[in-house]
Amino acid sequence: MPEAPLLQVRDLTVSFATRQGALRAVDGLSFDVGQKEIVGIVGESGSGKSVAIYSMLGLVREKNATITGSVLFEGREILGLSDKELQPIRGGSIGMIFQDPMTALTPVYTVGWQLVEQIRQHLHLPKAAARQRAIELLGQVGIPDPKSRVDRYPHEFSGGMRQRVVIAMALSCNPRLLIADEPTTALDVTTQAQILDLMLKLQDTYDSSIVIITHDMGVIAEMAHRVVVMYAGRPVEIARELDLVRHPRHPYTWGLLDAVPRLDAKHDRLRTIRGNAVSPLNLPPGCAFAPRCDYVMDQCAQRPPLQGDADHVDACWLSDAQRVTIRQRVEQPS
Amino acid sequence: MSDDVVLQATDVVKTFSSRGKKLGTRVVSRAVNGVSLEVRRGETLGIVGESGCGKSTLARCLVQLSPVTSGTVAFEGTTLTGLSRRRLRPFRRQFQLVFQDPYASLNPRRTVGDIVAEPMRINHLGSTSAIDARVRELFSTVGLDAAAVNRYPHEFSGGQRQRIGIARSLSLNPTLVIADEPVSALDVSIQAQVLNLMADLQQEFNLTYVFIAHDLGVVRHVSDRVGVMYLGEFVEFGDVGSIYETPLHPYTEALLSVVPELNDTDAPRRERIIITGDVPDPADRPSGCPFHPRCPVATDLCRVEKPALLTIVPGRQVACHYPRNLDAVKATSTTS
Ligand SMILES: Nc1ncnc2c1ncn2[C@@H]1O[C@H](COP(=O)(O)OP(=O)(O)OP(=O)(O)O)[C@@H](O)[C@H]1O
Ligand SMILES: Nc1ncnc2c1ncn2[C@@H]1O[C@H](COP(=O)(O)OP(=O)(O)OP(=O)(O)O)[C@@H](O)[C@H]1O
Ligand SMILES: [Mg+2]
Ligand SMILES: [Mg+2]
Repeated sequence: MPEAPLLQVRDLTVSFATRQGALRAVDGLSFDVGQKEIVGIVGESGSGKSVAIYSMLGLVREKNATITGSVLFEGREILGLSDKELQPIRGGSIGMIFQDPMTALTPVYTVGWQLVEQIRQHLHLPKAAARQRAIELLGQVGIPDPKSRVDRYPHEFSGGMRQRVVIAMALSCNPRLLIADEPTTALDVTTQAQILDLMLKLQDTYDSSIVIITHDMGVIAEMAHRVVVMYAGRPVEIARELDLVRHPRHPYTWGLLDAVPRLDAKHDRLRTIRGNAVSPLNLPPGCAFAPRCDYVMDQCAQRPPLQGDADHVDACWLSDAQRVTIRQRVEQPS
Repeated sequence: MSDDVVLQATDVVKTFSSRGKKLGTRVVSRAVNGVSLEVRRGETLGIVGESGCGKSTLARCLVQLSPVTSGTVAFEGTTLTGLSRRRLRPFRRQFQLVFQDPYASLNPRRTVGDIVAEPMRINHLGSTSAIDARVRELFSTVGLDAAAVNRYPHEFSGGQRQRIGIARSLSLNPTLVIADEPVSALDVSIQAQVLNLMADLQQEFNLTYVFIAHDLGVVRHVSDRVGVMYLGEFVEFGDVGSIYETPLHPYTEALLSVVPELNDTDAPRRERIIITGDVPDPADRPSGCPFHPRCPVATDLCRVEKPALLTIVPGRQVACHYPRNLDAVKATSTTS
């Protein structure tokens, strides 16, 4: 019997009541995260990646937000839990890393103080032991001279080092699941490489699972075992990483992959997705990608379900034969 | 041919002085530390390097938006550094800067038509109706609906705003466009649209580009030549194909090796070289080679003696005591 997934998201929907009407930021998102699995969520700006994650953790607190669906973590429903019930989970069994490390750090306290607080709260260690663990963690995430750095303030660290501190904080309580929202978007490739490498090493050491959110297909390819592609709040394709980059099925995924300028070849023109991202305020009734899709058909006025085999699903009405023809045409332009 | 050089910078230094930690002291940081480069007509020179290495500061010095501390910048043979504002004005039209942030670089209280028209108005280029007509023409050149001229920046998406910025920079028919991270803030699909547009415009108007970015895939795509900057200096220059295939500087090699790539072919991936540490502070420059504290192959020599930027083979320059791929670079140079 396969192990039960660590995280099971079913039909998660988040909408905001706005003056212009209901804004569906997340619209029927379902995916699993297995034990020790790294799942990447990719999509353009505004596609609902952050809202999806924050809503799961009870961090979407706006009064105008309506959240429905189900999120099982270790078999337990966590959607709708109170802040008090969520507290041991957030920063405890689920660690979080944000794009801007200063979201997680307070400028007025030393990084050591912040780490110690977190550790004491979740692991109930005495102060001296918590401080010892804080120094250990800073060393583990590659902060040089952790014994003296532990008493420094966040502004005395570079951007990359701050992100390391946040990772140390996320790891401080041995989380089962690490959720990272664009952890390296603000960093240089060199620092990004250091951080991604660190996350992989720690994931291996701690046997934890990771959900990594990014809009960079390259980062996904380096990190993820499985990928969820989102468009306009909806999952449009879910597959194993290698299947996704080598045999993408959804026209939006084609567009995303084809638009990436490559190191290995100089093409004269990049293939683009025409138009702009759709506004979640006026989602079309059918397929949300239809207005930008080069292969739109009558059927697309109906919303396509996510379907396929267990390991590879996508939401598109094109037949297999049509997809093969289209991709052959694109890959070998006459 | 020297008349093919549009822009020439020689030993450009830019320092900033700021208050030191001790009361009453000043620290001087050399954000640009002796840069020499030339930009040739019709080419795209890509500039890459980590955050804080001085790319934007250099760009501002090149277009005379900020005065150099020392060194010279010449445009089509005329030395610009040291010219009075008045003498500089006729040159200003010829080089334009496109900024990274399409959100911050457009005045939110002006219509986008006004924003694009402004440089022409300042330079008294034609009647109001002639300028209006030109604005509409520029809008369609960059793929925007000319009917949108009366709308405000917040009504446009990031990619559309960057098009507006590009339309504005083209309004005076520049010779040279310096683009400072023009697509960094955009999603990949929109980024591709803007890059294609820039390529089309370059063809159509015979533009020369200096293209600054930290995305090495983007730089590879757009550039003819690439310069790699580290701590205010260029450590390597070369033709794009050769620099990406056979990097000479260990820093270039490491940069290229860590770009996340789609493994959609069976080609083996480059071995990742993860360089440790952070970009050093330009106020606290290491001795010898600026890269030596992070360099995987540094020796005692690198700690004391700074390597000069030398031409290894035609079209390839590097500042390193121990260049990588040297044999391969020399071999391809003699066979071609
Ligand atoms: N409190 C809110 N009220 C109304 N709309 C909101 C609210 N929070 C987010 N949204 C909207 O929800 C949509 C999804 O936003 P989200 O931040 O999840 O996108 P994202 O995929 O994380 O994008 P990015 O890559 O830019 O971080 C956006 O259209 C956003 O404007
Ligand atoms: N006005 C200023 N006053 C003081 N220091 C400055 C000023 N402008 C830039 N610097 C410093 O000069 C160095 C180079 O900065 P610059 O903005 O040119 O880097 P960059 O390569 O463009 O980085 P990024 O990729 O982050 O845009 C940095 O150390 C920066 O802090
Ligand atoms: Mg987000
Ligand atoms: Mg800059």
